[in-house]
Amino acid sequence: MINFTINGQPVTAQKGETILQAARKAGFYIPTMCYLEKTTPCASCRLCVVETDKTDGFILSCQTPPTEGLSVTIDSENLKAERTNIMRLYDVNHPLECGVCDKSGACDLQNKTLEFGVSAQHFSAKEQHRTIEHWGLINYDPSLCILCEKCVHVCNEIIGDDAIELQFGGYKSSVVPKNSEKLDCTFCGECIAVCPVGALVSSDFQYSANAWELTQIPATCAHCSAGCSLVYEVRHTSNALGAKPKIYRVTNDFEHATLCGAGRFGFDFGSEGAKDEAELARAVDAIQEHKAIRFSSLITNEEAYILQKLKESAGIKLYNEEARAYQDFMKAYGSISGKKSTGGSIDAVAKSDGVIVFGGRIATDNPALRYAMTTAARHNGAKVVYMHPLEDALLQNVVTQYVKYEVGTEEGVAAMLAKTLLKEADVSEETRRYFDDLDEGYLCAESNVGDEEFERISKTFARTKRKTLIIGSDLLSHGRAQNIARLCAMIEAYTDFSVVVAAPSVNTVGVSLICDLDADGANVKAVGYNAHGVYTMGSFGNVQLRLPALNSQEGTFVSINHQVLPTNVAVAFEGYTLNDVASRLGVSSANTIDYTAQLPVSSGFSGSEFDALGNFYGPLGEDRRGYVLENVDVEADGELEEVEDLPEFNGTVVYRCNPVNQFNAYTAQSRQLEKDTALRGSAQFAAAAKIANGDKIRVEFGSGSEERMFVLDGEMKGTVALVPSYDGAYGAANDRYRFEKVKISRVGSEV
Amino acid sequence: MSKVYFSTWRGEQINNIGKADEEWEKSAYNLPLEYNEHASSKAFIGWDGVALFSPDVDVVRLATEYAAQYQVYSEACGRCAPGRWGGRILYDLLDKIARGEGALSDMEHLKEVSKTMQETSKCEIGKTVPNPLLDLMNHFESEFMACIEGQKPSKHYHMHDTNYIAKITAPCMDACPAHVDIPAYIEGVRDLRFDDSLMATRQTMPLAHTCGRVCPHPCETECRRTNLDEAISIMELKRLGADYETDHGFGFFHPAQKKPSIGKKVAVIGAGPAGLTGAYYLALEGVDVDVYEELPVLGGEVAVGVPEYRMPIDKYNQDIEAVRDLGVNFITNTKVTADMMRQFENDYDAVLVATGTRISKKVYCDNERPEIQGYWGAIDFLDKVNLQVKYDIMVPEADQKRHMLPANFVDLSGKTLACVGGGFTSMDVVRCAIRAGAKKVIMLYRRDEATIIKNTTYEEYHEAVEEGVEFIFHSAVAKMNDENDVLKSLTVDRFELVPDPNGGRPTLEKIDGASFDIDVDYLIPAVSQSADLKLLPEEWEIERTSWATIKTNGKDYMTSRKGIFAAGDCEYGPMTIVNAVGQAKRAASVMARYVQSGEITLSDDEIMEDHLRKLKVYDKKEKIKGWLPGLPRAHSEVLTVDERKDNNREVKYGFTQEEALAEAERCMRCYYIAMVAH
Repeated sequence: MINFTINGQPVTAQKGETILQAARKAGFYIPTMCYLEKTTPCASCRLCVVETDKTDGFILSCQTPPTEGLSVTIDSENLKAERTNIMRLYDVNHPLECGVCDKSGACDLQNKTLEFGVSAQHFSAKEQHRTIEHWGLINYDPSLCILCEKCVHVCNEIIGDDAIELQFGGYKSSVVPKNSEKLDCTFCGECIAVCPVGALVSSDFQYSANAWELTQIPATCAHCSAGCSLVYEVRHTSNALGAKPKIYRVTNDFEHATLCGAGRFGFDFGSEGAKDEAELARAVDAIQEHKAIRFSSLITNEEAYILQKLKESAGIKLYNEEARAYQDFMKAYGSISGKKSTGGSIDAVAKSDGVIVFGGRIATDNPALRYAMTTAARHNGAKVVYMHPLEDALLQNVVTQYVKYEVGTEEGVAAMLAKTLLKEADVSEETRRYFDDLDEGYLCAESNVGDEEFERISKTFARTKRKTLIIGSDLLSHGRAQNIARLCAMIEAYTDFSVVVAAPSVNTVGVSLICDLDADGANVKAVGYNAHGVYTMGSFGNVQLRLPALNSQEGTFVSINHQVLPTNVAVAFEGYTLNDVASRLGVSSANTIDYTAQLPVSSGFSGSEFDALGNFYGPLGEDRRGYVLENVDVEADGELEEVEDLPEFNGTVVYRCNPVNQFNAYTAQSRQLEKDTALRGSAQFAAAAKIANGDKIRVEFGSGSEERMFVLDGEMKGTVALVPSYDGAYGAANDRYRFEKVKISRVGSEV
Repeated sequence: MSKVYFSTWRGEQINNIGKADEEWEKSAYNLPLEYNEHASSKAFIGWDGVALFSPDVDVVRLATEYAAQYQVYSEACGRCAPGRWGGRILYDLLDKIARGEGALSDMEHLKEVSKTMQETSKCEIGKTVPNPLLDLMNHFESEFMACIEGQKPSKHYHMHDTNYIAKITAPCMDACPAHVDIPAYIEGVRDLRFDDSLMATRQTMPLAHTCGRVCPHPCETECRRTNLDEAISIMELKRLGADYETDHGFGFFHPAQKKPSIGKKVAVIGAGPAGLTGAYYLALEGVDVDVYEELPVLGGEVAVGVPEYRMPIDKYNQDIEAVRDLGVNFITNTKVTADMMRQFENDYDAVLVATGTRISKKVYCDNERPEIQGYWGAIDFLDKVNLQVKYDIMVPEADQKRHMLPANFVDLSGKTLACVGGGFTSMDVVRCAIRAGAKKVIMLYRRDEATIIKNTTYEEYHEAVEEGVEFIFHSAVAKMNDENDVLKSLTVDRFELVPDPNGGRPTLEKIDGASFDIDVDYLIPAVSQSADLKLLPEEWEIERTSWATIKTNGKDYMTSRKGIFAAGDCEYGPMTIVNAVGQAKRAASVMARYVQSGEITLSDDEIMEDHLRKLKVYDKKEKIKGWLPGLPRAHSEVLTVDERKDNNREVKYGFTQEEALAEAERCMRCYYIAMVAH
């Protein structure tokens, strides 16, 4: 703790905090143009200069930690004069196109120009011709760019794409794609978000609306289980009476949170509905007839609760294999850890200096976890071990050790990993014996992971202080998921690792905590809610009864942080809701969100009313979104089971894995997001499957077949191909083990 | 002392305007009066003032050109608002005045922008560029006013009679023998752009892992932050870029793309730091390089001299692989002879000799007969230790016998070893001896503790003491005592420092009657090394220095025989890794031009580099503005004595990311622009 003063008033700073951070916490205002709390200081704008009693000249508050007893002045006449001059420099030749600029009204340059009273161009310099760059979803206008470098910092330090850099050239400097002619990135759009001026803009949004015309609706992203905060920005579409509003864009509180491209650009899902009394009656009849509902996890907690009430009151069976797998996994997990949930979070990953990722394609499954890993790698120098049968190029600049194991051998790998990490742990004699008795030779040989790789993990983590384990969704639906869960739980229970599970869908966790799920089967008849069924309802697919999509609903989700997060209606839906269907079946309330307060306390819900839930970050980044579930105690009566014989996956194996920014039927609908539906494989795979680049192929799964194009991916290695799942009729199928041995046949050639 | 017409350099006020040539007052600084052997300079202008060497300098044009250089060199900058726009405005306004279109208000705007730049720029380049411009505007106001009032161009504005040569430097860059762009690699760490950091290092220093560990870092002695509190831990920050590349298994981040082959061939003799560096930069220029190495392994003294606990071989091998990655061809187990050299002269377009100094010098005591068993030269001792520890190459049977080793590796269990030295090599000997299990290890040193620390580092000395090395200062071996050619004991003289009554350096004088004997099994002379130059054909009559090393002019590194170059210890005498790198980098640059043109030339950048080193960029008296003092230098964690003394684990952990970032933020980015008009 360091004590110093600002303008004579006592202020304290934590070790490592800068003068600017301490000042902000204490409520002092120091102007900045390039400062971004979540990255290292860009230190380019120089507006944050301050004076002190121990220095000659100004010092930069954003990168200087205070020293004990320092006396800081933040607003002298001298400072004001130089800051004003800096603003005059910023305004040199800045194009006078505020009238049409996207940023106008929400522009830092406008605000500061006004704040410092720069009313005319004081200095002059030669004009230069600049070309506007078109980079797909992103446009860049260098003449508007103030070269604050926020975009460059965020892309490298938080996202990990490291796709843009500053081309140094003094007055001619500009932001350029790094090591590439064209921007080659995952199009998260975070650079647009952090741009303080109109230099980086969404090409779709550009010139379509003014900032001040848009209504901002805080919500939670519906695409993956990270539960990122976002704001739907909505406006009427024309001045005609009764013109319907639509979502123009999505923004985020970039200062404290981060959003991926699916969240930012994939907002235009869902469809219109109308109240068709007859169709509603048919839906109710169908449910009554089949006494079963099959549903996806793209559902709010309140809807899940309605379904549970239907089950309880009318004996309706509930099918959701994905959530059931998660539920079973966590049940087994809790039987060792004694807690209903894991203890980790995305934030814990970002703060850690050692991360193990096991069993998932994290970078595309859950971008927020990827960003947290990038943050940890860059800012904390975190060691990152990535354990998966397939290497992921997106993670190369994060991963420090890649451990490749054979498809299907996760249980053996989990046992070896637990043994490695528990070497020094204070476990029971029985547990110690369990690990001592493991047939290491067999496990290492079958999984193809050498003991030296585990030795290296052991060495790496001996010196790390904040450790996290990320469990990917491959493990949730593995044949031996429950023993894997118990092994992973041992790690959290007996070491200082915290664990986070990358649940597959937006509300898998919520559903698992609310619904008592039944085992589904191949020929089970049920009404589908955003899922297959004899009768279907929902917001996607060719459903019979239209219900609102998640951007037209209010309610809550539970993220993988075990946080209950509210979402709101961006565009009103004219048709019926699940609540209306349920009302006809005897489960009724005025509004869906009346159920928020009734969510089961036994699962850790707090009983809060929906309207009591916040959905924002405080000025210093305090998380004021919903609330965190209580981690309820459960009985720790589980025992580790012997590792079964490890299975072998030979022949043509595919891995269900979506391309960047694709998650489900919602993202599949989105106009802006790229829709790659090809099966991607290496040359080795092509040879094994006897197919060539561009071939039209039929892929036969255990549960049915699909026709796709085959794309030969030069960057890939090995015999496992990637098959997308977001583009199925009801989006991702996360209900079974993600690797599958398939039959592939050539049905034609595209070329 | 330089004879100048006018100078404000480093605050001096020399104004010989209107005075006769012989009455000129002289400048106190080594200003570059002669640009090179072909041209005299007209003016020198830089961060700390301006000097004119002749009355006939167009000062308005000079100011304009200096501002223009700031624009040209903006790749080092362009990263802050005041510097970026301010620099542009300075140039535009000065040029407007110089071409005869200026207004009175332009002078005011120049002063205003200058002040903002001086107060708020990110790095020293932006803060200091206005300094000499304001000097010129103050002292030669009439010349500026003449252009404005007469609306006419400055006197040489339309003439092309002057060359303006500029160079970016920094105190640390200037002090580094390899002139590494230190602020850039530290900025890479600060910005978490570790690839950029490494590429900045590799512009002039291919051995990033190595010089992030075992460099004596002369840069830190001339770090400007010293004037404020403590020097930045420059050396260790180099590791972050290198570790990033290695840890993530990227390909090598070379500073530039290797040029396609230009069809020229160079032989490099020796694969130590100098040879590797020469090969690296020649290969980047598209020259085909064969490196000949006598030992079975690559890396020279850093491989077989510097111990594993200081320089892990897997890290050094990364540096070596970066060189190989450019297509350099290594030929090991090949001792180059005079005959081969004669052949090389025909087969190659040029040859770089980089054979180091691998002969341990004698301690010059009585009975110092090499045949006595237990007498073991430091270089050979370290060879045997390191070849086994790093490469599992065991000690051959003959050597085992010769050195009384019980096994085929250096096992000193139960033995007493004395080393005579005081430099890095002797430290390596005694610390390796501890790790080889010696019962007792003694360092005999003629001078005192302070001097041994100065000659090595505080850490090195302190760690050796911790590990149990006994230091006997003010001592020297007088005689080796043997029985049947087996070393038994040493007679050691003691000395004291006697002040010179005339005020000169105190001298060491022997204390009579204070001599004593110590029982030892080994005496390792590590006083210095000399070069083995038998590979140079006698008839070439290559000139030597008085220290029996190869003579060059220290600028282009060509020997007295055309096409034969020399760099590193074999040229300079036993010196540092970074010195060898710096020399070889320069030699490679000269050679790359030589193989194409047959001419020996220096680039303007290299000429300026030498001028600035002579002038010295660092000013230890300068008072620092704009930075808060009192932020302590970060120190990385080291293994405890018990964790390290019986093994070869790397002693230093290196910075944690947190330490590295805090340290990087202390860097003041002291870039400067200097410019000569000739």
